[in-house]
Amino acid sequence: MSIITAYSTKTLPEAVADLKAQAGRCTPCLVLCFASSKYDPFTLSREMQAAFPGASVVGCSTAGEIVGDKMLTDSVVAMFLDAEVVADVAVAVLQDVRGGDGVGQAFAEFERHFQAPVSSLDIQKYIGLILVDGLSGAEEGLMEKIGDRTDIFFVGGSAGDDLKFKATHVLANGKAYTNAAVLVLLQAKKGFEILKTQSFKSTGKCLLATQADENLRKVVQFNHKPALEAYAEALGVPSAEAATLFMQYPLGLMAGKEPFVRSPQRVEDGCMYFYCKIKQGMELQVLQATDIVADTRAALEAKKAEMGHVSGVIDFHCILRTLQLRNEHRCAEYGAIFAGIPAVGFSTYGEEYLGHINQTSTMLLFK
Amino acid sequence: MAGQIKRMLDSIIDQRAKGNPILMQTTKTKLTLKGLDPDKFNSASPDDPAVVEKVKAIAAELGTHV
Repeated sequence: MSIITAYSTKTLPEAVADLKAQAGRCTPCLVLCFASSKYDPFTLSREMQAAFPGASVVGCSTAGEIVGDKMLTDSVVAMFLDAEVVADVAVAVLQDVRGGDGVGQAFAEFERHFQAPVSSLDIQKYIGLILVDGLSGAEEGLMEKIGDRTDIFFVGGSAGDDLKFKATHVLANGKAYTNAAVLVLLQAKKGFEILKTQSFKSTGKCLLATQADENLRKVVQFNHKPALEAYAEALGVPSAEAATLFMQYPLGLMAGKEPFVRSPQRVEDGCMYFYCKIKQGMELQVLQATDIVADTRAALEAKKAEMGHVSGVIDFHCILRTLQLRNEHRCAEYGAIFAGIPAVGFSTYGEEYLGHINQTSTMLLFK
Repeated sequence: MAGQIKRMLDSIIDQRAKGNPILMQTTKTKLTLKGLDPDKFNSASPDDPAVVEKVKAIAAELGTHV
């Protein structure tokens, strides 16, 4: 017994009892819990920690849930990992992520737990998870500071709230938090791999952010022209039409051949706002959407072949991908990609891998 | 003079990666996310003082010396 997944659509507190029953005889040391915003996060976190007192219980609110081969809404999903998978685990909560830098304090907690500097930990044995308040706007800074301090990979997502954009929560220690992040650092007993997949190809068109307000996630000018005008020109369409094509044609910051997607959110006075910070001077490629299901299936199959055996997957899956799948009526097809693998995940307001990204699935796969 | 920025970026990558090819790639990605794509600089790139200062600041953030 190593990784078990469960889900419930019952209300609280019955939902927790339902999840515990599905966990069976598993004695987890780590429980991940992702829940629709219909669940009161404070009650859920408290009840889940009480149900699994010997485990580190972490989670967040979502914009949709993933479990097994299902894409759900209005549910709570959970993954139970025992000592066959997780040799050791530590959790740290960073509060006031908008205003402060709690990464140093979190790493000090990790060092106390593991009795070693984080920088000395083997990056092939240790892996981090990160869950962030999806309305904090703090993801980029957090990921940058984590990356400055360690080469251990932190993978994760931004909490959602079913597209209400009112309040998202991260859960840990039997509590629920806003304006916060939960960091988990674990030693994977049998190893792990990370998969970052996004379904786009480059159009070959480049946009240089010649004027940007990074903190507002706003670009005023691309190529010394009003942002929307330059974007529309790159697509070869009128500006009004360009604003309707954001999901199909996001932008990508290229790291070699790998795009780190920046998704446009809205337009205001010719300026473009994104779901991700864009620094002034950054050169971005205009991307074009490809087939999410085919691409993700191919990427996961390739990773499975490389690993030999996958005992579980956590899928931090962008809500924009979920919306596209819903529009195309292909959620069942996407879920089927994970058939036979214990899988859990949620629709995020952003994904984390080396940085903050959009329209991507970042996955942690356990061997 | 030219090429100083490339030498500085290469040094940052070498210090962080210590020969590990995975860390070489992730360090390059971290630099790109910080706004400095190492692939955009070569031995003929002019030594823009503003960029040089930016590289020094990033080096410090990454715990390296240039």
